[in-house]
Amino acid sequence: MPEPAPRRRVPIEPGFFTIPDDPHEPPRLLGSRCRACGEHFFPRRVVCARCLARGCEDVLLGPRGTLWTYTWVHVPFFGRKQAGGAGYGVGQVDLPEGPRIQAVLSGQAGSFAIGMPMELELETLRETPEGEAVVIHRFRPLPADAKARA
Amino acid sequence: MKLGGVAVLGVGQVRFGVHRAKSALELARDAGLLAFADAGLDLRRVNEAFVGYIGAGPMLGIRALKEFGLTGLPVTHVENASATGLVAFREAAHAVASGRAEVALALGFDKMSELARGGGGRGIGRDSIDSVILPAAYFALWAMRRMHERGTKPEHFARIAAKNWNHGALCPVADRQADHRVTAEEVLASAKIAEPLTAMMACPADDGAACAILAAPELVRRLQPGRPLVRVLSSALQTETYTPGHTFVGPVVGPATMSRDTANEAYRDAGLGPEDVDLAFCHDAFANEELEYYELLGFCAEGEAEKLVEEGATSLGGRIPFNTDGGLIARGHPGGPTGLAQIHELAVQLRGEAGRRQVENARIGLAHLVGGGSVCTVSLLARD
Repeated sequence: MPEPAPRRRVPIEPGFFTIPDDPHEPPRLLGSRCRACGEHFFPRRVVCARCLARGCEDVLLGPRGTLWTYTWVHVPFFGRKQAGGAGYGVGQVDLPEGPRIQAVLSGQAGSFAIGMPMELELETLRETPEGEAVVIHRFRPLPADAKARA
Repeated sequence: MKLGGVAVLGVGQVRFGVHRAKSALELARDAGLLAFADAGLDLRRVNEAFVGYIGAGPMLGIRALKEFGLTGLPVTHVENASATGLVAFREAAHAVASGRAEVALALGFDKMSELARGGGGRGIGRDSIDSVILPAAYFALWAMRRMHERGTKPEHFARIAAKNWNHGALCPVADRQADHRVTAEEVLASAKIAEPLTAMMACPADDGAACAILAAPELVRRLQPGRPLVRVLSSALQTETYTPGHTFVGPVVGPATMSRDTANEAYRDAGLGPEDVDLAFCHDAFANEELEYYELLGFCAEGEAEKLVEEGATSLGGRIPFNTDGGLIARGHPGGPTGLAQIHELAVQLRGEAGRRQVENARIGLAHLVGGGSVCTVSLLARD
């Protein structure tokens, strides 16, 4: 039997991350690098926030980093993000290039520790009426086999 | 900017809470009328007004002022997230200090309960990359990092929250007035929001309004002979200075060092240090924030905040009482009026009119707020 055609994936907002054709390949973040001082940023920007030089160049950031801090959200306090029963992780991940990325984490409560290696993936939030999957970037603890390969 | 030549003429606040029966404009009117009564004048004497709110629609500030009359006075809207009310206060103080207004008014109002129910305010609950992570999660990230670096326990945050609940019970305009003494154990046992924060460590999403009327000290003396004169000494406002690791996406109210820089500016302009301050107010939307601000506002050395909690130094009767009206956690945090509620309580305390929660010989007070997007404001007030 032929496999069903994979749903087309679209970003929650354009301009923040790549959506690889291969669903097993991790996404990259769309960042900037200052041509004058070398500082990296996420998301993309024109003027360097550090030295104020104009003319940052586009770079891809990630997909790996280190967990700086995290929490487990039990109840949404504001907004629409649903806790979905058990809750969900949120963290800040330091990329080797410098930027600290705030994002949802995938994984169970109790599976996170400050300093652990993390990797980007895409999470499907919902489906559009046209059948496309709306995705957002999130981090997951780097699987052990990936760690061995790294 | 050093202010000195600005004094508080009147303050007013409606009790914060969920006000389903009243519109934002009605709340604003009630708070303003209390401030006018306290000041002993009406809109005719006011030369300029600054109005702050976060969630209500456009132009409401001008409409709110019409509740007091139509006198042609200049009205300016101010919006700086949670810091809004204290920034409106700062603008009013500078209008008086510059001499362009003899009397200036700052008015704040909001109905956060409607926003929290999904009323669709700007940026809150929007289906965007910025709205996925919630304020509770953001401040929980601070708490988890603090626990990792300093060995802080959830009990420390719970003791701060319990302290603010118990302060709120003594304040007639506080939202939460517990009918019993709240304990740290009770706070820890309340619903979990975001590890390690619990529901009782978080501010409510409530409604309210508050107002402050400022004037040249000579005028305040003339209009209110015999009343203690409360001066505005300084008012600093900063946004973030870039540091590596700044997060540009999602809720951002930091890094925490922004509070230290802003407080230092306010101290320098007033010619004072933290050792001179008798009581303080801070952005305790979540209890762990207050612990950080003990250090950042200079009330203890880095790494000593936990000790301050253990000693009870920031409770009424302690060395430096924090949030004597219950703070954001118990007095409430509607948004726009929050900073003006701090000014209301500061004026009441510095005049010596705070009754059961009076800080003995209170002479110098500090008000601090941070706001989303990374903004911080600190004001210092003193009784002559």
